[in-house]
Amino acid sequence: MNKYKNYTPEDFLADDYFIQWLNDPSEEHEEFWKAFVEEFPEQKVNVEQAKFIVSMFQHEQEKLSLDETYDIWNGVLRNAKRPRVRKLVRMLRYAAVLLLMFASGALAFYLYENSRELHYNLTELNEAGSNEAKIILSDGSEVSLEQKESAITYASSGNQLIINNDTISQNQMDGREYMNKVIIPYGKKTMITLSDGTKVWLNAGSQLVYPSVFLRKKREVMLIGEAYFDVAKNVEKPFIVRTSDMNVQVLGTRFDVSAYPEDDFVAAILEEGSVGLEIKGNSLMTQDRQILLTPNQKLSLNKESRETTVRMVDVSMYTSWKEGILKSESEDLNRLIKKIERYYNIHITLKDPLVGGYKISGKLDLEKSPEEVLNIIKLTVPIDWAKKSNGDFIVMKK
Amino acid sequence: MPGHLKENDQTLWSKFLHGNEQVLSLIYLRHANALFDYGCKMTPDRDLVKDSIQDIFCTLIKNRQNLSGTDNIRLYLFKALKRKLVREIQKSHRLQNVDSESAAAFDLAFLHSFDHTEIELNERQKQELVDAVESLTDRQKEAIYLRFTRGLDYKEISMIMNLNYQSSRALIHRAIAKLRDILSVKSDVFNQTLLILLLRKSKPVV
Repeated sequence: MNKYKNYTPEDFLADDYFIQWLNDPSEEHEEFWKAFVEEFPEQKVNVEQAKFIVSMFQHEQEKLSLDETYDIWNGVLRNAKRPRVRKLVRMLRYAAVLLLMFASGALAFYLYENSRELHYNLTELNEAGSNEAKIILSDGSEVSLEQKESAITYASSGNQLIINNDTISQNQMDGREYMNKVIIPYGKKTMITLSDGTKVWLNAGSQLVYPSVFLRKKREVMLIGEAYFDVAKNVEKPFIVRTSDMNVQVLGTRFDVSAYPEDDFVAAILEEGSVGLEIKGNSLMTQDRQILLTPNQKLSLNKESRETTVRMVDVSMYTSWKEGILKSESEDLNRLIKKIERYYNIHITLKDPLVGGYKISGKLDLEKSPEEVLNIIKLTVPIDWAKKSNGDFIVMKK
Repeated sequence: MPGHLKENDQTLWSKFLHGNEQVLSLIYLRHANALFDYGCKMTPDRDLVKDSIQDIFCTLIKNRQNLSGTDNIRLYLFKALKRKLVREIQKSHRLQNVDSESAAAFDLAFLHSFDHTEIELNERQKQELVDAVESLTDRQKEAIYLRFTRGLDYKEISMIMNLNYQSSRALIHRAIAKLRDILSVKSDVFNQTLLILLLRKSKPVV
């Protein structure tokens, strides 16, 4: 710390530790510099001057809109899958523009439509710090969802949405899809009514990206995490849920999709109707596989081995979370604990790996506190739990 | 870039090199906005910046087998974007018969509002600061941007700007000195304002 005793503002600005503090402060940084100014109050002026000069350059930055972010990435994927075609399409596009000038715009439109086919292969981490439930509109503006359980409803035109009791208008030009995104951290959930009437229950720790109004031939949304869908029937426009490892395509039906980045599996559970699943290959080059599900079937895909299993299940086990109830039927304690962690946004450590293998059957009411829930589990399997001073839980063998 | 993310970047990169192409989208998402902002400082053509970012990631997928490990993806991406943009801008200048030497002018639009600072400045001081930044050379602007806006260290800056370590330090030092000169002329006012501010702050709440 003494090193900084005689620093001028220039010296501070030449110091990497100082610059780190201003660009990406950690707790350690904050403490260090606070302590420094307290110990050497005469240096506060120089620190402030240096801070001021840096702040001059931390202006509002150019940001990609959600649309642009996804458009660029879709372009990358298209290119990776069909390296040669791209150039041809590009040339054809130029040709089409010329054609348009002389004759009709039909070809140009066709090519444009084709090139805008969506590939939401984007997987995202729930980065630490995004602990706030929010909706991001296509212009990049954010509205936070304060309640533990919120409701979002779109007007059929898509340019107006109601969040809980507030109405928000989006300025949109006609004939173009505008992407919106909802982020729900652990400990919260929401229900979204999309512009086509489809209802989506978004579980804790999940994100959904969707257009405010569906104008393409397909209704496409992207999901990270878990959601239950009640899709409004439209035979003309199939509804597609894209996740990192598989796509779910339906016409109108009810189903649950679970695709958490931290889980080693993704799963789809069909309640009613029929769905087609497209399992993505492990690399961008390998072929996709198709699987059809019938009601009460659950498909799960192992992300590493790419193995799939389909079996009959009691659907309510997998969908009751939206009513605030966790049902399980000889489920590993491991998995149940993970769900509880997400729901309450808490950390639970299993002291003994054996404990994770205990099978749990029953119903947990998530309106109760995590302590009460752990006590109920304690009644069925020989475990005990403790709470650390930092709020984390430990579960151990009794 | 937060320390914990940097580590993460490293593991992501090695996963990508070992065949997991899905993780590239994470790398993309993490750096897209910073790259875009950097690119927009070099050209007003937003579409060109977007195309260039897209090309960089296409190239990564295509050349995956020949890529080496890196512990600094951000540096790698910034370098790639700069190379690409400079080439594209020179190309378009040649088409328009513009002197290609002046390609990729670095246009650093900076904070003109001064709203985010505790320090109160009068109109004249503000004007002088604006003039001071405008009078920096393009290379100084770029170095300042990389250091203060993106938080890079001197080693990274020297690699992006093709300088040796000492020159990149000197470049930034000269730029800051220039700003400080202008501030220092007013330093009495500047420091007084601060002093008043400090005194006001340290006063006990009654």
